[in-house]
Amino acid sequence: MKEKLEVKYGLPEKVIFCKRCVMSNQRPISAIEFKHTIKSKKTTLHFDEEGICDACRYAEKKEKIDWLKREEELLKLLDKHRRNDGYYDCIVPGSGGKDSVYASHILKYKYGMHPLTITWPPLIYTDYGYKNFRNWIEIGGFDNVTFNQNRKVMKLLTRLSIENLFHPFQTFILGQKNLAPKIAVQYGIPLIFYGENEAEYGNPIADNFTSLRDKSYYTMNNLMEIYLGGISIAELIEKYNIPLVDLMAYLPPRVDDLKKTKIEVHYLGYYLKWTPQEAYYYAVEHTNFQARPFRSQGTYSKYNSIDDKIDDLYYYTTYIKFGIGRATYDASQEIRNKHLTREEGVALVRRFDGEFPDRYFREVMEYIEMDPDHFLELCDKFRSPHLWTKENGEWKLRYQVT
Amino acid sequence: MAAKSEGEVAIIDYQAGNLFSVQHACITVGLHCRIISSPNEILNACALILPGVGAFGDAMNNLRTLDLIQPLKDFASSGRPFLGICLGMQLLFSESEEFGNVKGLDIVEGRVIRFPEQNEKRKKVKIPHIGWNRIYIPKYNKSWNGTILDHIKDGEFMYFVHSFYVSPQNINQILSLTNYEGIEFCSAIIKENIFATQFHPEKSAKEGIKIFRNWAAIVKKNKESWLL
Amino acid sequence: MSKNIRIIPRLDIKGPNLVKGVHLEGLRVLGKPEQFARYYYEAGADEIMYVDVVASLYNRNSLKDIVTKTAKNIFIPLTVAGGIRTLDDIRDILRAGADKVSLNTAAIKQPEIIKEASRKFGSSTIVVTIEAIKHNDGRYFAYTDNGREYTGIEVLSWVKKVEELGAGEIVITSVDREGTGLGFDIVLTQMVAMAVSIPVIAHGGAGCKEDIKSVIREGKADAVSISSMLHYEFVKERVLMDDYSKEGNIEFLKTGRGFSKTNPTKISEIKEYLYWENIPCRYEIQRKEVHGSQK
Repeated sequence: MKEKLEVKYGLPEKVIFCKRCVMSNQRPISAIEFKHTIKSKKTTLHFDEEGICDACRYAEKKEKIDWLKREEELLKLLDKHRRNDGYYDCIVPGSGGKDSVYASHILKYKYGMHPLTITWPPLIYTDYGYKNFRNWIEIGGFDNVTFNQNRKVMKLLTRLSIENLFHPFQTFILGQKNLAPKIAVQYGIPLIFYGENEAEYGNPIADNFTSLRDKSYYTMNNLMEIYLGGISIAELIEKYNIPLVDLMAYLPPRVDDLKKTKIEVHYLGYYLKWTPQEAYYYAVEHTNFQARPFRSQGTYSKYNSIDDKIDDLYYYTTYIKFGIGRATYDASQEIRNKHLTREEGVALVRRFDGEFPDRYFREVMEYIEMDPDHFLELCDKFRSPHLWTKENGEWKLRYQVT
Repeated sequence: MAAKSEGEVAIIDYQAGNLFSVQHACITVGLHCRIISSPNEILNACALILPGVGAFGDAMNNLRTLDLIQPLKDFASSGRPFLGICLGMQLLFSESEEFGNVKGLDIVEGRVIRFPEQNEKRKKVKIPHIGWNRIYIPKYNKSWNGTILDHIKDGEFMYFVHSFYVSPQNINQILSLTNYEGIEFCSAIIKENIFATQFHPEKSAKEGIKIFRNWAAIVKKNKESWLL
Repeated sequence: MSKNIRIIPRLDIKGPNLVKGVHLEGLRVLGKPEQFARYYYEAGADEIMYVDVVASLYNRNSLKDIVTKTAKNIFIPLTVAGGIRTLDDIRDILRAGADKVSLNTAAIKQPEIIKEASRKFGSSTIVVTIEAIKHNDGRYFAYTDNGREYTGIEVLSWVKKVEELGAGEIVITSVDREGTGLGFDIVLTQMVAMAVSIPVIAHGGAGCKEDIKSVIREGKADAVSISSMLHYEFVKERVLMDDYSKEGNIEFLKTGRGFSKTNPTKISEIKEYLYWENIPCRYEIQRKEVHGSQK
């Protein structure tokens, strides 16, 4: 009789791959990060009866959208907010990657807006990533507010989130997402623009046809409900001796503040048809953006998410937890955007997915003061048995895309 | 004894380079051609092309192994049109400097010499000579009328790729001259029924195809005189 | 008398489409390669280069069909690159109609193949492409797989080895400049051109005619390989009509925009410019006959 395998994280027991792209049904969709604990059950990417994922269905719908009409909506929105009195009328968060370059540049130079760019810096900038950030400001021509976060706390939280959730990127996600609304409140700039619509990656289709972020991503009323690095605020204060003020950077603004300033968060990708590669070309054209001068480990691409040295490790943890590596993310996106055929995507995933990111690994471990061997032990702890099996002393995925 | 021609142009395949373009150049100008590598098939051809790229020594070895040396010489003396291209032209000669002196087909008297690494002005000469270069009518020649270079402009560009060049004993056999880094060399020859070019007419765009067209006219005329 | 410079359009091909990246990254579709090839042939290109840009990812070169189609009616030299690994691969591509092949990854992994291939097919048939990326200390290193894999091999010593092994020509690509229109890497090109006695083809970064002049004069290149400058000019003239249903993202083509980093230029404009700058190339000035006098 077949032994029933443990399924971690509330993932679907059976592994299915999308018939169009190469994504699997194990992919969690955007979690509400500050409610995230190890016990959290993941909501995962939805597949319909034909075996096609929501992200691919969205890509289909994208072709039928009346983009002229969407642009008109954008123009109306911008007209409502545009200021010519010498003050910023919108905020574009980012770190100088292709998406923030594209969004900020097109808003300023095509649509006549006056964006303030804001940055939550990466854990460790890559040197070409930093150059791209500087070029954004110097060649692109933007004012930028960078929040230099308390590094002692950031390192601790990063360690904790790896230890408890095996999620190195949680601190970055929280910090970045929460920074914009807080600055918006403080500076009195009610309009925030993000770039790509997360619906492109499979947030439930119902969400896509509005351009506002689900408010649950950035508002919070009850401090006690909040978890950082898998630990509650209460415990962080008591057990880890971190004063509340040092944790505020990771917390969202209060709902009242948001209501007062009437903050609106929009995805530019709702109004303008978004092709990640075209954002790359745009960034090259307008700010001399440079791709990574070598292949990102774990994938085949050079232009996506290249400014933070911990990025590669993050994708490695998704590979461990969900069986989904960086090549799968890249290939799925590129298949949906018709750069690649599914067959090519499969070959790329099989060749690159799960490659260990040793290039920056030691440096990152040293920086966050974690023992590299301990990290490798954690890998094994976080593998879900329904995805992994050990063959001849080596871990292998039970199911691979074909 | 000359056999009755079958009406096809033989393109010799002796494992020395690409025949695709030569074949297609022929097709483009309406020549029926066939790629052959055996002596028997040569006898029946109405005309012959000896193309080639690569090393002289290896090429001669291949021709020897395929038993093509005597048939080629016989064809040359048969009066039927014979076109040599690049290495194919060099092989017609008596001897090459390449890898210590190697004997050629000795159909045309003269030697095959390597480009020097420096020219007279001590300027570095890049070898091979690769690229487009002009072909000129030699002073002692009146014109190119009636040759494969008929209606080609004096000074027209053709595509070259070679490290060695030919030096015919008889300067009247020089059909065109070319200058590379101050070195003047023979870029095409004529000897009765034999035409040969150092450059690649099949890679020389429209003017190169014109050369094939000219040769096709010669082949046609020659066939007609055979049939009479 | 100086030798004639060659202008070689380079066509990056993925599947049925011509694509154009930056830093050898990105698959922006600009059209169908056969149409570009024909346009350039008619416009006076000296040679053409086809590159299968995803070949190394799949360990195969898929250009045989388009090579054959092209070689049947475009009578200038055709060089094919991308995923060529073995002597059999070389033979197949040559048989399909190519005149030269270019090796990169295979040559670095197994340098002996250069020697074997040039012996078997002739030196002038074997071109080696080197993808160079500049490191922080100013040294240039060779990469493979479209600027993806670090090899640890320094360009300067590699080019000398390549020549020793019998390659006929070298293409030196600056990955840092490629597709940016910021000009060729003159330092890199000159370093390579002075180090070897075989022809060197400069590639990567051409943004305007002046860039071409610089890389020839100062960079000492014997030929130039150009993509963006030429492709974006051809794209201007075209109406979007072809079939991209199988694959290919044509969002860019639909906008009808250009790419402002390069000056879209015709081959004839480049050659005319070089002529007036006293850089010889395959070009005839259009002389007007003046009554009563000879030219």
